[in-house]
Amino acid sequence: MPRTVTYKPHWYTGQPLLVLVGFLVLAAIGATSAWLVFKSQQDAAAVADSVQVQYDLTTQQARIRRTESFQRGFLLTGEDRILRQYEESAALVAPAMARLREVLASDPDQLGRLEALAPAIDAKLAELAETVALVQAGDASGALAVVRSGRGEALMEQIADGFEAMREIERRDFADRSRAARLSSLALVVVTVTGILIILAVAAFALYVVGRTTRQLADAHAALATANLDLEARVAERTADLSEANLEIQRFAYIVSHDLRAPLVNIMGFTSELEALRDDAFLRLERLRAQAGDEAGQDTELAADFTEALGFIKSSIDKMDRLINAILRLSREGRREFRPEVIDAKALAEGIGASFAHRLQEIDASLSIGTLPSLETDRLALEQVFTNLIDNAIKYRRRDVPARVEISGRFDGRSVVYEVADNGRGIDARDLERVFELFRRAGAQDQPGEGIGLAHVKTLVRRLGGAITVRSDLNKGTTFTVRLPRRWLPPTHERLQEEPG
Amino acid sequence: MTVPVTIVMIEDDEGHARLIEKNIRRAGVNNEIVPFRDGTGAIDYLFGADGTAVVNRGKPLLILLDLNLPDMTGIDILKRVKENEHLKRIPVVVLTTTDDKREIQRCYDLGCNVYVTKPVNYENFANAIRQLGLFFAVIQVPEAE
Repeated sequence: MPRTVTYKPHWYTGQPLLVLVGFLVLAAIGATSAWLVFKSQQDAAAVADSVQVQYDLTTQQARIRRTESFQRGFLLTGEDRILRQYEESAALVAPAMARLREVLASDPDQLGRLEALAPAIDAKLAELAETVALVQAGDASGALAVVRSGRGEALMEQIADGFEAMREIERRDFADRSRAARLSSLALVVVTVTGILIILAVAAFALYVVGRTTRQLADAHAALATANLDLEARVAERTADLSEANLEIQRFAYIVSHDLRAPLVNIMGFTSELEALRDDAFLRLERLRAQAGDEAGQDTELAADFTEALGFIKSSIDKMDRLINAILRLSREGRREFRPEVIDAKALAEGIGASFAHRLQEIDASLSIGTLPSLETDRLALEQVFTNLIDNAIKYRRRDVPARVEISGRFDGRSVVYEVADNGRGIDARDLERVFELFRRAGAQDQPGEGIGLAHVKTLVRRLGGAITVRSDLNKGTTFTVRLPRRWLPPTHERLQEEPG
Repeated sequence: MTVPVTIVMIEDDEGHARLIEKNIRRAGVNNEIVPFRDGTGAIDYLFGADGTAVVNRGKPLLILLDLNLPDMTGIDILKRVKENEHLKRIPVVVLTTTDDKREIQRCYDLGCNVYVTKPVNYENFANAIRQLGLFFAVIQVPEAE
């Protein structure tokens, strides 16, 4: 049963795609992680900012409050020490304001609120400075009046409320930013873990695919090996069948030719007897005519008819005799046991070429022998193959050009291939197969022969385990290609049973 | 006066038998020719009813043997003749179509005296038989014991 081994390389070509996917996932994870890390840093910085702003706001408020406390202390005591403390404290307020502005530069809303508070702060500081100046000028009651007016109190309250409102907003921002920072960190973790999982999945899938491909390849190899084995077994079977059939044909040919010879001898023998009888009969007839007084030579026509009939019989017998002999020779050749040996084909071909040298010179023909690979086969059989092919190439040359015969060879796997090419008259495409048939000849029948050579060559090549093919261009030349195994293959059914004589 | 030699011709082809006889006669051999077309008849004649060949004791015989017979092979006859104490010295001429080397060797191994292949061409065939006839005319044939 015919078996087909198919191999689908679908997964195999998918592997580079997998690698690409893995790479893309890695790149995406990297980019996302980097972005998330950056964002976390930003969020953390924002959180820190909020804390800093809250702290700065509280300190500023406390600083103003402390400045007020030192002012009250000075108003009560008039001590220079406290005045100096007041002045130091008051001097710190303006730089702190500048720093707050810097810190809040990225937050225009808060900055707006700070700017809205700035006049109140300035006014508070001015009120404090005014009272201190009044005390220094000796107008303690004026200063007290200013304090008592409650303007400073109102300003202080306004400032405290403003700072508190800003702190409240910062607290809210802090909460928001903390949440965002937590979310960023969480996102970073999630993305990283997801990425790792995806990479692991891709890697696992890739491993699975590689494993599967390897298995498929192994299966395909195994299937191929099995198919090869089957094929070899089938080939061996066929070869055995063919050898058996070949053997049958040889046996048949031998028996036929043998058994045909016996009656042929009789036909020939009694034809000769008839000839002798004819001579006797005509002699006797002549004598009788002479006795009867008839004219001589009256039976010449009758004698000629006799001779003609006997002539046809004899020539036909000769022809049949030649054919039977040819069959017998072929079948005998088919029974010959081969003696395989390693043969230097080039040397062998050159030896054959030398035996043709005289004839080649006579007809102005050339024979060139290229490098021919050696092989293990039967020497005599190979000699006969080459001799027949060269002989044919010379025999069927064109008369208008000098004959050129080229022998070349090459290795082809477990076979050797020899080619015998000529520039002869060629063979009509219709006759290409016929030329290998027994008693069949192609083209002009101007050469002696029974049509046995190529049939013999084909039988020989087949028995040597090879094959012969021919290609030809009419009027241009013919090339015979002989393919033989490099190593001798023991034929399956080679030996014939002995035929009783 | 010695008894003339009897030629026992074992040949299944009637035509061949006739041609052989004619050509032997043409060589001037006038001995009696006893023809057999199969092996059984020849065996009966040679070995007699009791199969011991005592019947032929004291007779000078010459066997002309074809190997291709309808009922047995000539080799069987050759073997039996050469194994029989009365017939073993009888000259056996194998005249057959086979020129297979192994077959020829086997016949000589079994004691055949002359092996002749029937020529395919009639002229040669006739010639060979005539020469064989001349040969028969001159050879000494012992009596069967």
